[in-house]
Amino acid sequence: MKLRSKWLSIVLAVVMIALSACGGGKGDTAGSPNSSSAGNGGAKEPPYELNVAFAAFNAIPSNLKEVQDAINEITLEKINATIKLTPINIGSWTQQSNLMLSSDEKLDVMYVSGRNYTSYVSKGQLQELDELLEQYGQGIKEVFDDSFINAAKVDGKIYAVPSNRDLATNYGINLRKDLIDKYSVDIDAIKTLDDLDGLFKTIKDHEPNMTPLVPQTAGISFVDSYKWFDPLGDSIGVLPDYDNGLQVVNLFETPEYADFVQKLRSWYTAGYILKDAATNKDTNTALLKANKGMGYLVNQKPGMALQDSRSAGMELVTVPLTPAYATTASVTSIMWGIPINAKNPQKSMEFLNLIYTDKDIVNLLDWGIEGKDYVIESGNVIKYPEGIDASNVAYTLNQGFMFGNQFLSYVFEGDDPNIWEEMETFNNEAVKSKALGFSFNAEPVKTEYAAVTNVINQYKMALETGSVAPEEILSDFNSKLKSSGIDKIIAEKQKQLDEWASTQ
Amino acid sequence: MVNQETRAWQWIGHTILWLYSAACILPFLLLFISSITDETTIVTNGYSFFPEKFGFNAYTYLWKESADIFRAYGITIFVTVVGTAVSLVITSLLAYPISRPDLPLRNPLSFFVFFTLLFNGGLVPTYLIYTQIFEIKNTIQALIIPSLLMNGFNVLLMRTFFMTTIPTPVLESANMDGAGVFRTFYSIVLPLSMPIMATVGLFQGIAYWNDWFNGLIYITEPKLFSLQSMLNRIMTDIQFLSTNSALSSQSAEALNNLPSETFRMAIAVIGVIPILLAYPFFQKYFVKGITIGAVKG
Repeated sequence: MKLRSKWLSIVLAVVMIALSACGGGKGDTAGSPNSSSAGNGGAKEPPYELNVAFAAFNAIPSNLKEVQDAINEITLEKINATIKLTPINIGSWTQQSNLMLSSDEKLDVMYVSGRNYTSYVSKGQLQELDELLEQYGQGIKEVFDDSFINAAKVDGKIYAVPSNRDLATNYGINLRKDLIDKYSVDIDAIKTLDDLDGLFKTIKDHEPNMTPLVPQTAGISFVDSYKWFDPLGDSIGVLPDYDNGLQVVNLFETPEYADFVQKLRSWYTAGYILKDAATNKDTNTALLKANKGMGYLVNQKPGMALQDSRSAGMELVTVPLTPAYATTASVTSIMWGIPINAKNPQKSMEFLNLIYTDKDIVNLLDWGIEGKDYVIESGNVIKYPEGIDASNVAYTLNQGFMFGNQFLSYVFEGDDPNIWEEMETFNNEAVKSKALGFSFNAEPVKTEYAAVTNVINQYKMALETGSVAPEEILSDFNSKLKSSGIDKIIAEKQKQLDEWASTQ
Repeated sequence: MVNQETRAWQWIGHTILWLYSAACILPFLLLFISSITDETTIVTNGYSFFPEKFGFNAYTYLWKESADIFRAYGITIFVTVVGTAVSLVITSLLAYPISRPDLPLRNPLSFFVFFTLLFNGGLVPTYLIYTQIFEIKNTIQALIIPSLLMNGFNVLLMRTFFMTTIPTPVLESANMDGAGVFRTFYSIVLPLSMPIMATVGLFQGIAYWNDWFNGLIYITEPKLFSLQSMLNRIMTDIQFLSTNSALSSQSAEALNNLPSETFRMAIAVIGVIPILLAYPFFQKYFVKGITIGAVKG
């Protein structure tokens, strides 16, 4: 009874707001042209507040409120809306965002991670964006090559738009420059994994306390940081060479996989790979900093070596080992969507459009407040103000790759000022996987999926770091995968891929 | 002969107890030593009781970040103190009536309490009610009320204590002396119930001190993070960033910005110290609770 009366009052309130808004609108058209800006707020439709939730990869800034106010000044003027930024730590993101979505909490714009995307869509938690993009999101469409926006399509419809950043990835090895120089290694001659043997041997012989190759970080195997196939989401059923005529194959049965783990094993027995690579808990740069390693395989983007050099506190150089590829995963890993909770999707889309087109908003979100968190050094390059450095800057998010169009953002001192042009070329020249735009829905085979994932977790790290001899283990691994039903998953994936291909 | 046998038993008993204590204390010791080990030494040599090089970087860093850490500390202390106090009051106020045989509807009430031990509303409905009807998201109440404030198990524990250790004649004599229900409860029952109060208080205190789950679900505002949810956040962030390889070109930098291992250990150390200090005070009541039960049979 009480609940009902509460609902009733809400409905009444909404009706009254709608009525007063209509009345206000009329007033505005007839209103005096010289009304002050303060008066304008009353006459115009009251600004809509958008709750913008996103994942924070770093510490949540202490001056977020100031940044939000600064953004609101712009959005009030441009789209008559204000925003409320709701950052959520990345580790709690899946849980908190799910709760917000399923409890119909007020949420108008949200970050969508590639690995939650299909599940959001199949649960109907995201709104279709095609029409909204057409009407209010032209700025977003102009930023991208069509194939990248289409990569986020599920059943022919767009539910989220990727942020504009490094949309492709190539694999390569980052190496310590001081050691390269010391032993005058010709890194230009290194083109493939096999070419690394000589380098590793030199390092092993001359630096007995150092392991040439260390893992990227905890839980990441060398196959994760050097792929020659489109993982189609999860590496269970893959497309070798990013094409393979759209024939899904079992990665773990391919001769290439056997060769690769064999190669890793030979490196491991020769002492080229960190002994505890399978259980390592440290990040690559921490290992380099501690003089434990000389290099690591990693997925690359322009500027990666510089970025990691800063973390490692030493100069690193990159040797690319594969061309750049764009896959569904590389494009959709960071996106923006409008949840079903959003009551005013038009405004949500207008705001999204702004973070792809408005340089001021992008830089507020990326770098904080000018003069306090950064100062412009020259042109596009910024630096910390006097007395501020990385350890005491208030705006700590540092995740330009997330907020809309990173190419509008300033470049921090020390980075290549032309990085965004390079990144754009990198994206556009990347080889697009034949299955770019396909995402797998594991729902129909979820029992097998869980079983197979368990088997993979059991073997993966040991095999893919060279810690065990692949001869017997690999066949064990494969027979266990078979009995857990990997073939059924691959058949399902093939079916979905064929359906997807027929609609392209 | 007999003497020797006892001595042998003594030795065995002491050895077992020594080993057991060592198994309890050594991890703490390792935690503490790791927190004062030099950062690079940990990466090169791993954890050790006798590190090559000590370093107090973690604690200096902690001191530098003290604004955040101490706020979190303050939140934890506030939540623990207020939560435990309120929880004790309402738990005893429910447990006492249902321990009295003359209370009407006593059994349905007890069953109602018992029922909550077996079934609960599930996460999403609970979240929905707390955030949309009570609107406690991002408030300090969110750390106090959900799932912790009232615990059916504690109510039943207290009820059993009231029923078994407080003799009915004592209550009757109070009644005859003219004490009302509240007076009886306040002047007779409570002073006799210190052991159970201390026990339940300790349970609750620890539950509040260690809780990170409410912080995980209901709090997005960094100003309201408790110490445990801060630590939990650091750990889950590390886990997420390091296992999500699709993001690795983005997450690499974030991963390197996260607090180092020694720092995480240092937070754990300062998080655990107060609760270690609180234990000895409650120990007294614990023992008393057991002996009272033993003597009265």
